[in-house]
Amino acid sequence: MDLGFIADIVPEILEGLPTTIGLFLWSMLLSTVGGLLLALARMSAVGALRWFAVAYGWLIRGIPLLLIMFYVFFALPEFSRTFLLSPFWTAVAALSLWTAAYQAEAIRSGILAVDNGQYEAAEALGMTRAHYMRRIVLPQSVRIIVPPFMGNAINTLKQTSLATVITVPEMALITTRIISREFNALEPLLALAIIYLALTTLLVFGQAGLERAFRLKV
Amino acid sequence: MAPLVRVQGLKKSFGDLQILNGIDLDVEPSEVVSIIGPSGSGKTTILRCINLLERADGGRIEVDGQVLCDEGPDGGIRFASKRDIRKIREEVGMVFQRFNLFPHMTALENVIEGPIAVKGMDKGAATERAHELLASVGLSHRADHYPLQMSGGQQQRVAIARALAMEPRLMLFDEVTSAVDPELAGEILLVMKHLAEQGMTMIVVTHEMGFAADVSDRVLFIDHGLVVEEGRASQVLGAPAEERTKAFLRAVLERAPMAEEGDDPDQLNEEPTWSSDPLAAEEAARDSAELARLRNEVAELRQQLFRSGTTRSEG
Amino acid sequence: MGEFDIVWRSRAIFWNASWVTIQVFILSLILATAVGLGLALMRMSGFRILRWLSATFVWVFRGMPALVILFFSFFWLGNNLGWSPFQSAIIGLGASSAAYKAEIIRAGLLAVDRGQYEASEALGFTKAHYMRRIIIPQGIRVMIPNYISNSTLLLKSTSLAAVIGLTELTGRSRQLANSTFQPIEILTAAGVIYLVATSFLTLSQGYFERHFELKR
Repeated sequence: MDLGFIADIVPEILEGLPTTIGLFLWSMLLSTVGGLLLALARMSAVGALRWFAVAYGWLIRGIPLLLIMFYVFFALPEFSRTFLLSPFWTAVAALSLWTAAYQAEAIRSGILAVDNGQYEAAEALGMTRAHYMRRIVLPQSVRIIVPPFMGNAINTLKQTSLATVITVPEMALITTRIISREFNALEPLLALAIIYLALTTLLVFGQAGLERAFRLKV
Repeated sequence: MAPLVRVQGLKKSFGDLQILNGIDLDVEPSEVVSIIGPSGSGKTTILRCINLLERADGGRIEVDGQVLCDEGPDGGIRFASKRDIRKIREEVGMVFQRFNLFPHMTALENVIEGPIAVKGMDKGAATERAHELLASVGLSHRADHYPLQMSGGQQQRVAIARALAMEPRLMLFDEVTSAVDPELAGEILLVMKHLAEQGMTMIVVTHEMGFAADVSDRVLFIDHGLVVEEGRASQVLGAPAEERTKAFLRAVLERAPMAEEGDDPDQLNEEPTWSSDPLAAEEAARDSAELARLRNEVAELRQQLFRSGTTRSEG
Repeated sequence: MGEFDIVWRSRAIFWNASWVTIQVFILSLILATAVGLGLALMRMSGFRILRWLSATFVWVFRGMPALVILFFSFFWLGNNLGWSPFQSAIIGLGASSAAYKAEIIRAGLLAVDRGQYEASEALGFTKAHYMRRIIIPQGIRVMIPNYISNSTLLLKSTSLAAVIGLTELTGRSRQLANSTFQPIEILTAAGVIYLVATSFLTLSQGYFERHFELKR
């Protein structure tokens, strides 16, 4: 193993870091919004919405992310040209669709965990349902949502590597190019692994920090 | 004859909390010693140290001539090797407050697991012996039941049979009736009483003052990790010398239910024998008769102790 | 929907590709379970070095994308040791999943009541004996839901083997979609096969839970 060589290729791989981070942040943003909507749909009084949310979760969780990515990339444009996206946005779309299903579960479990007595207390005080959700439920749920939410985030970060297969120039793709150029796999892969480990470890620390921040004052 | 168990200066603390402050205890072969005292006094910890489920911080423990732990010249404590500990544990049966039966195994499987795995007994012999033991605790008809299909009293009796299957020289009982319904405690105490009569050496941590008085040769009253009072059961329970012992007994007996007016201890004159494998119905009837007798004895004793504090005549 | 004829006409291809997926899944699941059990026991052992090794393995292999682990197994190990993509896929996916299995198995074993350990010790059982006979059989019951849902993830992860050139279900479907110019039909069919397989796994949970239920 050549440590000097690793040091040389780390900067080259890091050229893909902005793309990796871009994939991650866009997917997190869209999937959080999507997940929240799905969670609310799942708990809605309208049967069709509930049914849609359940079917969506079952579908997305039952299929590999890679297949979803191929579907968005190859199949969706066949329905309509408006779905013809660049590789980057294809990856964002697939990652968002996929992550949203998991975030919906995380958010729903957080909302369900709030004690029912709280609702009765709020109702007795004459709060509206919207007010109750916003002021009573969400602040309490956030605490419960943080661990699974951040777990999903870590998964999504790792899964951005799948964008390689549709030629998005993120870190994993750059690494495979180095491997074929140098006829050497170990050092480039170690460099890539170290970067991912640093990123995921950072997120784990972030999770611990968030959990501290939202801990109930007792 | 040398004592079977010799505990000297036993010390144990959990964090800052000193649980045992130097306990001395000798137990002769075939002796039954009851340890009583308030919750948190360290009674259970003594048993757990004798079986090395807890590691003592200081002192010396010897079982059947084998040293479990001892203080070195530098004051540090040393323990027997893992292998020696396992060997000593073969000779020491332990019965837990919460039974700790293996819930995925039937009563029979619970009993034969030890002899087969540890003593290398073959399955046929172990099974035959297990059936005898289950019969001796009145549970022949429960051999193929799983723990969760049995009452607490039955589970605890299986646990006793499981410990006996290892043919121990010493039995440790850790508040074995505390986790069962009061009306089922009698059947466990009955089994223990018979075991004592057969000459088993026993150390019994208990809240059952009646049992302590009736069955044990000696009673230790422990408080704050020290032996406060020690002596014959009739003396410690009937005429305690120490103020703390008196206060403890008063508190315990005031809480205990009194015998009912109509109870007649003499209605069952014949002492039934406790032998192996009778028919279930017959056995159950006999059990309940013996249980009633024992329960009356216990109640009577409580009454005596509560009213007078005078010495109970030895039977 | 006459276009779905293509799926029926390609059924042999789907069948063969699915069979590859199933083989990769089962073999990497066995590997992951064995390694995960070893890691869990190491983590609970009395030797600090074993605990440290296990914790480090879990940290490293959970901190990396499964794809990167697969790359290690294919480009580096596979290349040096002459493994086929099939072998590389099993090793890579198995190692990646093992880190998760280790955590699931450990949580299950820790959930077993302390009294079970104490009763075993008091009877003089060796650790090897009571782990095998007393603790693990009871821990399995607790592990089932997480174990199954993690196995569903592994089943889906087998699709990553497409990236290293294995013609399993996802990779083969992609090739077929390109060559037939009917990506909607082909990819939908692949999706349905995955859905059936993952739903089957999820439903099996009830069976296993009943199987390991304590008799009461």
